[in-house]
Amino acid sequence: MAEADKEKNNNLSRRDFLRYGFRAIIGLGALSVAGHTLFSSKSHDMVWQLDPDKCIQCGRCATRCVLSPSAVKCVHAFAICGYCDLCSGYFRQPPFALDTAAENRLCPTSAIKRTYVEDPYYEYTIDQSLCIGCGKCVKGCGSFGNGSLFLQVMHDRCVNCNECSIAVTCPAKAYTRVPAHSPYLLKKAAEGSG
Amino acid sequence: MNERIISRIITTIFVLISLFSMVWWLSSGVIPPIEIDIPGKDNKPASPGAGTISVTIGQYAERLEGVPSSITGSWPRFRGADFDNISKEKIALADNWEDSGPEILWSVALGEGHAAPAVMNGRVYILDYDEGLRSDVLRCLSMDDGREIWRRWYTVLIKRNHGMSRTIPAVTDKYVVSIGPLCHVMCVDAITGEFKWGIDLEKEYGTKIPLWYTAQCPLIDEGQAVIAPCGEDLMIGIDCETGTVLWRTPNTFAINMSHSSIIMMNYYGKKIYVYSGVGGMVGISADKETKGQVLFFTNAWDNSVIAPSPVPFGDGRIFVTAGYGAGSMLLNLTYSAGIFQVNPLYTHSPKQGLASEQQTPIFYQGMLYAILPKDAGALRNQFVCYNPDSEEIVWASGKDHRFGLGPFIIADNKIFILNDDGVLTVLNASLTAFEPLAQAKIMDGVDAWGPLAIAGGRMLLRDSNRLFCIDLRGENQQ
Repeated sequence: MAEADKEKNNNLSRRDFLRYGFRAIIGLGALSVAGHTLFSSKSHDMVWQLDPDKCIQCGRCATRCVLSPSAVKCVHAFAICGYCDLCSGYFRQPPFALDTAAENRLCPTSAIKRTYVEDPYYEYTIDQSLCIGCGKCVKGCGSFGNGSLFLQVMHDRCVNCNECSIAVTCPAKAYTRVPAHSPYLLKKAAEGSG
Repeated sequence: MNERIISRIITTIFVLISLFSMVWWLSSGVIPPIEIDIPGKDNKPASPGAGTISVTIGQYAERLEGVPSSITGSWPRFRGADFDNISKEKIALADNWEDSGPEILWSVALGEGHAAPAVMNGRVYILDYDEGLRSDVLRCLSMDDGREIWRRWYTVLIKRNHGMSRTIPAVTDKYVVSIGPLCHVMCVDAITGEFKWGIDLEKEYGTKIPLWYTAQCPLIDEGQAVIAPCGEDLMIGIDCETGTVLWRTPNTFAINMSHSSIIMMNYYGKKIYVYSGVGGMVGISADKETKGQVLFFTNAWDNSVIAPSPVPFGDGRIFVTAGYGAGSMLLNLTYSAGIFQVNPLYTHSPKQGLASEQQTPIFYQGMLYAILPKDAGALRNQFVCYNPDSEEIVWASGKDHRFGLGPFIIADNKIFILNDDGVLTVLNASLTAFEPLAQAKIMDGVDAWGPLAIAGGRMLLRDSNRLFCIDLRGENQQ
């Protein structure tokens, strides 16, 4: 009798086989989903960004990105902008005149728009579809102005290469990995200024 | 069909396809429309106008509870009595400070800006801008405690443009002369604040107000206020008592007003007013017999934005510098057969030599001292000692000591430097090395750019919103 029961237990029924099989598949599936989630959170939730306080506007952001034009664009911290008529990020130095004629402008692609607000204020906005990330305006603004223009990797364009081709040649070592949920870095001067 | 016809048909088909593709490509919006960058695309009105209200200079006055101090010592104008930014007081100043820094004797709130004080007879004079009153306010404070003795003001709308107030009054025993941001000149009695006269340079002389307002600090010389309107007249002398214009120099060189101020120098027994404007630098006779006559002019030094004033060396050489990439120039003034001539000796870019964007360098013991601008490469914002003879930087403060656009002054053979954020550093005025003695944070504000003043061993310094008086004296002097 005992031997018959033992033999019965050893002979797995089809129903048990299917039950155990499904359980194993579900378990493996859950494990793989968890593993994938864990793995992907480590590799993809960090993205490349440029620390504007380290940037020296060498111009490589415009030429070393795998994308053309570069994923690096100029952005503007309006809170620390002086809204000056003579904007050193907009005008070449010295300008022939303080107007919007091409010969006075610093940006090689006319990506900065100058708009009269009221005397003596002018607003400067970046047309990112034209910006190539050369940083000329950033250099001008930082040299003589408040430093409200700065470069950032724009994540609607960046393909987040494992090895960022700009980062490896950045002479200021300004590139860093930041969390994807907070992918932009403000200049220190702009933090807390509204 | 022969081959020729077939070939022509194929060619024609390809040409038509190409043309069609090009038309489709150009009209599909793939290529953005070409925009021509021409003047006027910023919607700037032809004549923006300040939208100012009518200004009645010196309109209001009030006496207050402050009492003049018995503290001696004066700082009568921008860069002091000798235009060199060096205090000549024989008061020993402390070589080092307690951890808490030098004692803060008093402080008063100011309107946002960079206007700095002049000191005379225990009184501190500062042309403030009061946003509540919407007025330029000439305030007379006690050197003892900062309490206001009197104030005189006039309503004028100044919009914030890297701060509002800018200038330093000129003061004598009898008069105070001030210039407001929109070029309103006012003269009052130095003791009582009684109004003497006022001039609106824009309205009366056609002055073009500089970007970020005027920073020209007035000058009083032998009872005359000397002003550079840079409009119809280049320079004028006004009797302080009556307001009568005693002499004028026509603006034949079409010089516009800069942020620079008139500096007085002596050369070959001649007293000369030197002014560096937008359009060139000019020397005007300050001698009684020939006052107002042009002695020399050069447009070799001509920049669109000039804030520092000329620095005469006393031997005919004049150092000039400016920001926005201008760098600097050393000019040489010569005098022969009754004629002055001025010629450049050398020019340097900000990376090649000494340059300054905002503050005027100091010439001391044969060296020039200044903070280099942000476009000076590795030495940006460092305080440097420069030898104008060898054209070399003798020493620099180093990458751990950068000072922004802050002011500096020399007293008791020490250099005091205030950085943008209100940290005061004192160092030996050394000819060989950067030798810091002490450092202290005096204020928490920003943009501490107003020039420093020293009187009676006390220093007056400010950030964008507050004026401080600190005691610099050594222990045995207090």
